[in-house]
Amino acid sequence: MWDIIFRGSINGAIFSLIAVGLNLQYGVTRILNIAHGEFLMLGAFITSIVFQLYGVNPVVSLAISGPTVFVLGVLIHIIVFRKLVHLSKSAEELEFRSLLACFGLLFVIQNVILIIIKFYPKLMYSGTPYLNETIYIMGERLELNRIVAAVMAIIISVLLYIMLRSTSAGLAVRATAQEPTGAQVVGINISKVHMVSFGLSVLLSALGGSLLSMIYPNLSPLTGPQYTFIALAVIVIGGIGSFIGSLLGGFLIGFVYYACMKTDSLLTMPVVYAFLIIMLIIRPKGFFGR
Amino acid sequence: MLKGKMVNLTKILPIPLILIVLAFAPYFLGSYRTLILQAVLVWVTLSISWHFFSGLTKYISLGSVAFAGTGLYFTAVYLNLSMSKGYYPILPLPVVVLLAGLISFALALVIGSVTLRLKGIYFAIATFGVGELVKGVIGWWQTKAGVYQILRPLEFGDPQITYFSILITTLAILLLTTFLRRSKFGLALKMIGECEDAAAHVGVNTSLFKTLSFAISAMCMGLIGGSYAIRFPTINVDGAFKTDYSFLPAIMVLLGGVGTAYGPIIGSITLSLLSEYLRVTFSFYFPIIYGSILIIIVLFMPNGIMGMVEKLKATKLMGRKELAKAPEMPP
Repeated sequence: MWDIIFRGSINGAIFSLIAVGLNLQYGVTRILNIAHGEFLMLGAFITSIVFQLYGVNPVVSLAISGPTVFVLGVLIHIIVFRKLVHLSKSAEELEFRSLLACFGLLFVIQNVILIIIKFYPKLMYSGTPYLNETIYIMGERLELNRIVAAVMAIIISVLLYIMLRSTSAGLAVRATAQEPTGAQVVGINISKVHMVSFGLSVLLSALGGSLLSMIYPNLSPLTGPQYTFIALAVIVIGGIGSFIGSLLGGFLIGFVYYACMKTDSLLTMPVVYAFLIIMLIIRPKGFFGR
Repeated sequence: MLKGKMVNLTKILPIPLILIVLAFAPYFLGSYRTLILQAVLVWVTLSISWHFFSGLTKYISLGSVAFAGTGLYFTAVYLNLSMSKGYYPILPLPVVVLLAGLISFALALVIGSVTLRLKGIYFAIATFGVGELVKGVIGWWQTKAGVYQILRPLEFGDPQITYFSILITTLAILLLTTFLRRSKFGLALKMIGECEDAAAHVGVNTSLFKTLSFAISAMCMGLIGGSYAIRFPTINVDGAFKTDYSFLPAIMVLLGGVGTAYGPIIGSITLSLLSEYLRVTFSFYFPIIYGSILIIIVLFMPNGIMGMVEKLKATKLMGRKELAKAPEMPP
């Protein structure tokens, strides 16, 4: 039982970090990025590369993978999504088109990683995970790397929350999410906010990936969509636009995920999908949605 | 009078010609080109089926994989179990394919009746999840049963059987969807797409019509999946339930032009031929180039090929200057 609580909350901390990113992105830009999990893979991959080539500590490499993916996300937003926003006549059309564009993006990122691995197979499989010592908490064995990853994920989420709540940039982001037209009227540069929040959300995803790669050194690049679905399930449970909802939903899915992993690992993802669909049918606004 | 008849003739004449060419295609195209033609026909049918529901009602479904995959997987499993293992009575191929279509229809009725009250992006997410859920559950069952590959029965080794089963299904679905689209049913669906509240006010039973058209579109996907099943010597869950089946029809329709009669056909032919060409030319980098092309289509072809053709026609008729003055055409 303690096992599920500990390991579930370790998963949950990382899931909520990923989900907060997706939530921020959809809430502000109305782009449902189904390539979100691919950015996670990108983060994991960068961490793996710098660990293999230069022996950089995975915790330190958060400072490398995050900004790299942030820049990439901003570039992608400028090239692809800014044009889509101008092109679309209504919010529904933008959502539909950006969904399809994201599918293309998923294809591209996934295969870029796969091709690099094909040429340099050493880059992906790091063999020994970082900080593999075990400690005992209440009689449960826990690896140290998992605890570090979970704590880092929580710290990042809290930092983001503080940033959104108490800085002027955070105010601009929240205003844009709530009332885009009104935000424009009071002088907020909406397209800049969109750009930054897109970058920020893929940054969070990449950080989640770096932390995950610390726990699972053999992360397959093909599992990206799986994490997108987990994030989707979390934000649907918590409610789109609700930060706290995403945090709590992440932990809920974390527990469910670990409990399924333990009983029948093949049923894990179907259970997550079922959660997503049932939640959408019962209460599409989520538990904390407005 | 005579002129009017001539116009009608030129409109009708290509159809039997195309039919004759398609019927004799495997005898002069060679086996490789026939395979490509098969794939093109499958994509055409998937796009038409997707467009029949999502293009008309504007409810974006990303769950096509659930229905096409179910049809494909059911047919493969049934043929294998009945002909190779003798568990079930041996049925002729068309009956098995029809059964596959019926199963997809029933599945879609259930899914549609609960998900179709969602709107916009929520519906898209829900159907996307349904596709993955069906795949996950069948994958779980497959592993529990200890099956990893489903072999095609020896009787279906001939590629021409596959070709004609796909061709007949395609034509049947084309006829069915065209007929339904032009009937009052299609009109009601179009109205739901334009404004659902208005449709409900004039007496259209929106939830029934939405669910029914979702199920019909799913049935078409199941049928084409079922007739495509014997193309593969062996098949497993990952092969039957490819996410491509959900997204590519949507992108193909977008490429051809949403809401037009020929858009889905033209878009799917173009994109599937292009993808085959790219696959052959850039074997290794194909996915990256293909993905970029998908993004470019979404970005630069807002009205699709049919939209561009319409615009060209309009320019010819009115001249460039007048077109600039004319009000924008509604999407």
